[in-house]
Amino acid sequence: MNGVDFLADSLPVFWAGFRITVLLALASYAGALILGAVLAVLRISPAAPARAAGLAYVEWFRNVPLLVHLFVAILCLPKLGVRIGPFTAAFLVLAMYTAAQVCEALRSGVNAVPRGQAEAGRALGLTFGQNLRHVILPQAARTVVPPLGSVFIALVKNTAVASLIGVVDLTYQFGELARDEPGQVMTLLVAVAFGYLVMTIPAGYAVARLQRRAAVAR
Amino acid sequence: MTDPSTPLIAVEHVDKWFGSLHVLRDVNLDVRRGEVVVVVGPSGSGKSTLCRVINRIEPIDSGVIRVDGRPLPAEGRALARLRADVGMVFQQFNLFSHRSILDNVTLGPVKVRGIPREQARRRARELLARVGIADQADKMPAQLSGGQQQRAAIARALAMDPKVLLFDEPTSALDPEMINEVLDVMTTLAGDGMTMVVVTHEMGFARRAADRVVFMADGQLLEQAPPTDFFDHPRTDRARDFLSKVLTH
Amino acid sequence: MTTVDEERPAPPELAPARRVRPTPATALYDAFGPRGRRRVLVATVVSVAVLAGFAVFVLYRLDRYGHLQRARWSYVLSPEILRYLGEGMLNNLKASVIAGALALVLGLVLALGRLSGTRAIRVPAVAWIEFFRGFPLVLLILFPYLLFPVYLRAVDPLWYVVIGLTLYNSAVIAEVYRAGILSLDRGQQEAAYAVGLRHGQAMRLVILPQAIRRMVPLLLTQLIILFKDSTLGVAVTYPDALRRGETMGSFEPRVVFQAIIVTAVMFFLVGLVASRLVGVLERHWSRG
Repeated sequence: MNGVDFLADSLPVFWAGFRITVLLALASYAGALILGAVLAVLRISPAAPARAAGLAYVEWFRNVPLLVHLFVAILCLPKLGVRIGPFTAAFLVLAMYTAAQVCEALRSGVNAVPRGQAEAGRALGLTFGQNLRHVILPQAARTVVPPLGSVFIALVKNTAVASLIGVVDLTYQFGELARDEPGQVMTLLVAVAFGYLVMTIPAGYAVARLQRRAAVAR
Repeated sequence: MTDPSTPLIAVEHVDKWFGSLHVLRDVNLDVRRGEVVVVVGPSGSGKSTLCRVINRIEPIDSGVIRVDGRPLPAEGRALARLRADVGMVFQQFNLFSHRSILDNVTLGPVKVRGIPREQARRRARELLARVGIADQADKMPAQLSGGQQQRAAIARALAMDPKVLLFDEPTSALDPEMINEVLDVMTTLAGDGMTMVVVTHEMGFARRAADRVVFMADGQLLEQAPPTDFFDHPRTDRARDFLSKVLTH
Repeated sequence: MTTVDEERPAPPELAPARRVRPTPATALYDAFGPRGRRRVLVATVVSVAVLAGFAVFVLYRLDRYGHLQRARWSYVLSPEILRYLGEGMLNNLKASVIAGALALVLGLVLALGRLSGTRAIRVPAVAWIEFFRGFPLVLLILFPYLLFPVYLRAVDPLWYVVIGLTLYNSAVIAEVYRAGILSLDRGQQEAAYAVGLRHGQAMRLVILPQAIRRMVPLLLTQLIILFKDSTLGVAVTYPDALRRGETMGSFEPRVVFQAIIVTAVMFFLVGLVASRLVGVLERHWSRG
């Protein structure tokens, strides 16, 4: 069988894997944005224990490798009577892992707003909520968008790690096909490369554009 | 309304520390309606802090500050309402960098005072014309020169119809050629009867526009007098020393 | 003329430490008044309660499934097992050191290539960087693992890990170098040209020494990430700490939980200490 025929035959398999990868990336990203926002609120809270809890969470997820978290989810949770499938485990772990990065991006965005801006809002008579809504958050949003884009790109690439705990994504399908047809590894390589680069490279350019736009607006 | 004879601002026995640094030492100061008080002194004397405690941008550690006879609220909506009546102009302008000049001037009136947007815009354009930058209304702050930004910041403060305006070193961050355009606006305001507290290094402005000059050093308010008295006959050694350094050229 | 009572004695000096108030860390909050401080107190109490509740829940759950049993933990924390896991960690380190060294060199070459004025050098460098940066690292480790047996011959899994880590990190590190070089004040470059240096000399003698010093913390941070990523060697049966933790669980199923947790904590401690050290170095350098 030549490369082209082989690729045509395995296209449905790749497509199925690709869809899982996209689904996993989007779902985890949504979860990470929500959880990351909650964590960011904890991290800048005036209550010391809340700050400490937020910091502990971020440090744990930043310093322990992603695959270790995935192993904790599929090997340790069942020992506590929690049974979840590989996809659910991967979704939860990726969302929680990425939330730490989202949290730090949001936090540094808020901290990047110059103190004088908040003071000027206060001096005008804006209440805390008004100052947040009209002065601080709109400015923080500009600095936060590019890093959040980079976080998404990293997440897309990280979804591939989920294949190691049995999530049937693009990488998993690639591995299966390669084991069945070792002679076609080069062809498969090109196909799987295309599958990921088609997501990460455009996203990378979008981030770079946003970065330039944010830089100009300042 | 309160009795017009009560001072608009009354600072009574105010102390403030930054950590172990005693930045305001038992400061007392009254500002009457329509009065222009210029605060001068060497850097680090606490004059900027004095300006910033009046609308509680900085909290104080002891003493009382009254605005229009009422003690300064500690927090919340009451404090926000008070601040709406006390305009402030900062050294670094602090225009909202994500909003146009016009939006900077209308934000307060619309969100704090609840004035209809169109009405606020009309008034904002009038004020921008008054400070001489009517043609800059639709630009972003970063597109303006420092002097223009500071004038926009003055318009932003005026848009709230404040009872008093606080100026915290309004010309210190400006290039020399832009200082006068800002001082001119301030002088006009002073002539129009606006109550002003101005912290500045501009002795010419103090001489020209002040009703009273206040001299601070090391967190203490050492002298206050009409400008001619202060500049020609300073009473304290610290003031004489200070004036000899700033007036030599 | 009104002179403010100059002679009046200053108020009694109060102990400076007395004035410690909960100053907000960000520009977000106004200074707190009494009500604000009360709210912070309530938030503090509530968050302590929530955290304590969570801790109790976890401990209860652990106890109910017998994971607090001393025997299980002492088994995993015995010297032999710790040595077994520790040697796994050394395998992570081995792969990381080799790949890190290669990526640092290759990355520099790529960065200089990308900044080169010659198109024939620049284009391949850009292509390499963009291609390998956009790739999931697992795949870059799987490729040699699948390709080598077919086209060459199977080698020690260590080398698959090293190849994957090197390819990916050469691209990432190249961008770190490039950002460092570009962030350098243009004046430095102009000054170098002004004293008569050529492009290559300016780069070698003026730009790089300064740029590298500035980017060392970033490079070290990337090397820590590389170390964590070395756990992906699990995909090609490389006997790293994580794989050893996992296999231990499979020959002693009663301690799977403990084995994985201990492995995770080991990684946590190594990562935390390393990133704190980088932080210290960064502060030290930004001061000096």
